[in-house]
Amino acid sequence: MAAQPKPLAFEHPSYLHDPGGIWSWITTVDHKRVAVLYGITALFMMAVGGMEAMLIRAQLMVPGNHLLSAAAYNEMFTMHGTTMIFLVLMPLELGFFANFFIPLQIGARDVAFPRLNALSYWVFLGGTIFLHLGLLRSIYGLPDAGWFGYANLTERMYTPGINVDCWDIGLLILGVSTLLSGLNFFVTIVNLRAPGMTFMRMPMFIWAMLVTTILILLAFPALTVGLIFLFADRFLDTHFYRVSAGATPILWQHLFWIFGHPEVYIMALPAFGMISEVIPPFSRKPLFGYPMMAYSLVLIAFLSYGVWGHHMFATGMGPIADATFSITSMLIAIPTGVKIFSWLATVWGGRLRFTTSMLFAVGFLVEFTIGGLSGIMHASPPVDLQQTDSYIIVAHFHYVLFGGVLMGILAAFYYWWPKITGRFLSEKLGKAQFWITAWAFNATFFPMHFVGVLGMPRRIYTYAPHMGWDFWNYFESVNAFILGFAFLLFFINIIWSAMDGEIASSDPWDARTLEWSIPSPPPAFNFAAVPMVTSRDAFWVRKYGTVGTHGVAPAIAGGAAAAPIGAHAEVEEHIHMPAPSLYPLIFALGVFLMGVGCLVWTRLIIMGGAVTVMSVIGMVFEYPSFGKFDPAMIAESTLGLDHRKVGMWAFLGSECVFFASLISTYMVYKDRNLGGFDAMILNIPLTSVSTFVLLTSSLTMVLALAAVQRDDRKWSVFWLASTVLFGCIFLGGQAFEFTDFVMQGLKIQTNLFGQTFYTLVGFHGIHVLIGVCWLIVLTIAVARGKIGKDRSLAVEIGGLYWHFVDIVWVIIFTLIYLMRTVKHA
Amino acid sequence: MSDHALNPAHAGHDVSHEDHPGPGLYLLIAAILTVLTAAEITVFYVPGLQPVLVPILLVLAIVKFAFVGMFYMHLYYDSKVFTTLFVFPLLLALLIVFGLLLLFSHLQGVLSFVVP
Ligand code: HEM
Ligand SMILES: [Cu+2]
Repeated sequence: MAAQPKPLAFEHPSYLHDPGGIWSWITTVDHKRVAVLYGITALFMMAVGGMEAMLIRAQLMVPGNHLLSAAAYNEMFTMHGTTMIFLVLMPLELGFFANFFIPLQIGARDVAFPRLNALSYWVFLGGTIFLHLGLLRSIYGLPDAGWFGYANLTERMYTPGINVDCWDIGLLILGVSTLLSGLNFFVTIVNLRAPGMTFMRMPMFIWAMLVTTILILLAFPALTVGLIFLFADRFLDTHFYRVSAGATPILWQHLFWIFGHPEVYIMALPAFGMISEVIPPFSRKPLFGYPMMAYSLVLIAFLSYGVWGHHMFATGMGPIADATFSITSMLIAIPTGVKIFSWLATVWGGRLRFTTSMLFAVGFLVEFTIGGLSGIMHASPPVDLQQTDSYIIVAHFHYVLFGGVLMGILAAFYYWWPKITGRFLSEKLGKAQFWITAWAFNATFFPMHFVGVLGMPRRIYTYAPHMGWDFWNYFESVNAFILGFAFLLFFINIIWSAMDGEIASSDPWDARTLEWSIPSPPPAFNFAAVPMVTSRDAFWVRKYGTVGTHGVAPAIAGGAAAAPIGAHAEVEEHIHMPAPSLYPLIFALGVFLMGVGCLVWTRLIIMGGAVTVMSVIGMVFEYPSFGKFDPAMIAESTLGLDHRKVGMWAFLGSECVFFASLISTYMVYKDRNLGGFDAMILNIPLTSVSTFVLLTSSLTMVLALAAVQRDDRKWSVFWLASTVLFGCIFLGGQAFEFTDFVMQGLKIQTNLFGQTFYTLVGFHGIHVLIGVCWLIVLTIAVARGKIGKDRSLAVEIGGLYWHFVDIVWVIIFTLIYLMRTVKHA
Repeated sequence: MSDHALNPAHAGHDVSHEDHPGPGLYLLIAAILTVLTAAEITVFYVPGLQPVLVPILLVLAIVKFAFVGMFYMHLYYDSKVFTTLFVFPLLLALLIVFGLLLLFSHLQGVLSFVVP
C-alpha cells in the first residue's frame, strides 16, 4: 500500500453533518440520508408493532380473558402483521440497509435515481400514516381484517367503516413506494457497479438484493390489482369477491398469494444476503460455495412464483393443483438447504469471533432451519389440512420471519452500525439482548407448535379453559414479555451508542467488501475515487492479496491499519452529487391527499392528483440535465446503457404482470357471469377504428422520435402533436363506448362482465390518458426548444411507454373484443 | 453481459441513433400492422373461419405485438438486455394467466353444484 495519508474524514465531513440543518434532511436525495430516514421510521414502527404483540399476548395469557374486546383484538393482530411486514421488515431491509449499502458495496456514489429514492421514502411515510388514519375517527378505527385481508370479510357489508378502507388504500400507497424502490435498486445494481465488478464478483448481499428487486417488480402488481378490485367493491359497489354475483372470494386469495409467497422471499432473501456478509469476516474465511449461493438465490426466487397455492390447500383446488403446488413447495427446500449448508461450511474450521453480530447470524441459521422444516410439513396437503389456520402456522412463520429474518436484520445492525454512525453498539448489551432473545423467542414460539397440534385456531381473541392450551399460553405470554424486554435493551443500546458509543475505525471487523474501505461514517460522495475491482472480496484482496481468499486466513489483524482505498488518491476533481429537491415530498403529499380524498371528500382526489402531476413535471424539468444524452454516464455504466432506459424497460416488465392479472380476471369471470349483459354488447366496428387509430399513433410516435433525433423541430412538433391527437381520438372513442354501454344499462356494478370489462379497459384507458398528458408536455417542451437532438432520450422513453400501451391494446382487442364468443375457463 | 464490466472501454459504445431504422421502415411496419389488423377483423366476420378463430387471432396478435416491440420499440436494434428485461416478465405473466385459467376451470366445475 502507498504511504498512509491523512484520514479523509478530517477533510470531508461525514454525510451526517454535511450539509447541516433540518431542511437539508427534508430535501435530501443522498441515499445514506434517505436510508437513515427509513431506519428511524421503521424502528419507531417496530416499537409500535411490538406493543401490539404485547397486547395480543396479554389478552391470550389466560383463557376467557377480557383485557381486549374481540374488535380490539382483531385490530391488534391485523396491525401487528401488517406493521411488521410492510412497515418494519421491508423498510429495514430495503429502505435502510439496502439503500445504504448497495451503493457502498458496488462502489457507486448513489443509487441510479436519487430523487426517486427520496420519493419512495416520503410515499412510504405517507402510506404508514395512512394505515393508521382511522384512529382519527375512533379508537376502533384501525384495520381489522387480517394482514392477508381475506375476502369476503373485507367487503363493505361485513366490515363497514373506515378500517379496511385505510388498509386497502394504505397498502396501495405503500405498493407505489416499494415498486419504485425496487426499480431504483434494480437499475443501480445492474448498471452502476464499479469497473471490474462482474456479476460473479458482487458481494452476496448485492446478489440477494438483485433477486429481491426482481421479485418486487414482478410480484407487487398482483397485489395492486387485488387491492384495486377490493377498492372497487368497497367504493363503487362492484362484486369482485361476492358469491351472490357469481364471483368468488378465492380470486382474492389467488391474487394475494401470487404476491404473497414471493413477498415472503422479498423479506427472506435480503436477510440471506446479510448473513452472507456477516459470517465470512467473523469466520475469517471467504463465503463457501459462492456460485451455488448465487444460483440458489435465483432458483428460490424462480420457484417462489410457482408455490402460491400452498396457502390455499383448504380451498379445494383439486388433486392436480394440490399435488403441483405441493411438489414445487417442497422443491424450494433444495436450494434453501444448499444455502444453509454453505453457511455452515463457511463457519466450519474458521477462526470464529462470536461478536453480537455473529451470534445473531448463528441464531438465524438455527431458527430459520426450524421454520423451514415446519414449512415442508405444511407443504403436504393432507398434513396441512390439519395444521392450517392453527397455531402451528403462527409458529412456522414466526420462526422464519422473527427467528430468521429479524435475527438476520439484528446481525446486520450490529455489523453495519459502525459504518452508518461511526460508533459501535455496545457488545455487552448486545450479547445480553441476544441471549435473552434466544431463550425468550424459542420459549414463546416453540410451544405454539404444540397448541397448534392440540387444535388451537389462530386469529381467535380468547378461548375456553381446559382445552389443554392453558399452560402453554401462559408460558408463551410470560416469555413474550421477556422478549419485549430484549428489544428494550436494543433501543437503549441504540440511544446509548448515539450518545456515548465507542468510536469505530473505517474497518473495525477486518472485513472484505468495499464499504469498509471508506471512512465511518462515509462522506456524502462515498468514494473519493471510484474503486477498481479485480476480484471477489475486493477490499480484502486489496489489503492482503490472495491470503485467505480460499481457506481460513491467519489471525493477525491489521485491517484497520490498511489504508482506505482511494485515500491515497486525490479526491476526484469534479464529483457531481445530485442537488437536493423538495418535489419528492410534494409528490408524496399529493398521493396522500388523493387517498384521503377517497375517504372524505371526492374533490380532494382531484386536488391531490393535480399536486402529484405538478410535482412530477417539476421534478422532470428541475435538473438542467433532463433527458440529456450523457456519454460520460453511459461510459461509466456497467452495461453501457442509459439508466433511464433500463429503468423504463424494467417498469414495463412489471406492467406486464399488472395487465396479466387484470386480463386473467376478465377471462375467468366472463364465464361466471350470471346473465344480463355479456361480451356480445361489444361494438366491434367502433373498436376496430380505435385500433387503427392507436396503431397510427404509434407510427407518428416513431416518426416524432426520428424527427427529434434529426433535430428537426418543425416535424418533431408535428408528429408529436399528431400522436396526441390520435391518442385523444382513441380516448374519445372509449368515452363514447362507455357512455353508450351505460345508456344501454351496463354499469360497472351490473354484473361480472361489466366490472371486469370496465376495470381492464378502463385501466388501459388511464394508461393512454397518462401517455397523452406526457406527450403534451413533451410537445410543448420540443416546441419551445427545450428538447432537441441531445435530449431525444426524453422522447424515446415517452415513446416506449406509448408503444407499450399500444401493444397492450393489441392483446385486449384480440382477447376481449374479437374473441368475445370464446369461453376461456 | 458481465464482460462489459471488465472492459470499460467497450462499455462506452454508442448504441443510440446511427443503427436505428428510418421512416421508410416505420411506414412499412405500419402497412404490415394495418394489413394484419384488417385480417383480424376479417377473420372475425367470416363464419367459415369460426372453428379456427382462436389460433388465427392469437397468432396475428402475437405477430403484431412482436412487430411493435421489435421495430417501434427498437428491441431488434437495441441492447439485448432490454429484450431480456421485457421478455422474461412477459413469460412469467403468461404463466400466471395460464395458471389462473387452469385453476379456475377446475373451480368452475366444483362450484357449479353450489352456484347454479
Ligand atoms: C421451505 C420453505 C417453506 C415452505 C415449504 C413453506 C410452506 C408454507 C405453507 C404451506 C404455508 C401455509 C400454511 C397454512 O396456512 O396452512 C406457509 C405459511 C406461511 N409462511 Fe411459509 N414456507 C416456507 C418458508 C417460508 C419463509 C422463508 C417465510 C418468510 C420469510 C415464510 C412465511 C410464511 C408466512 C408469513 C406464512 C403465513 C401466511 C398467513 O397465512 O398469514 N415461509 N408456509
Ligand atoms: Cu408461501
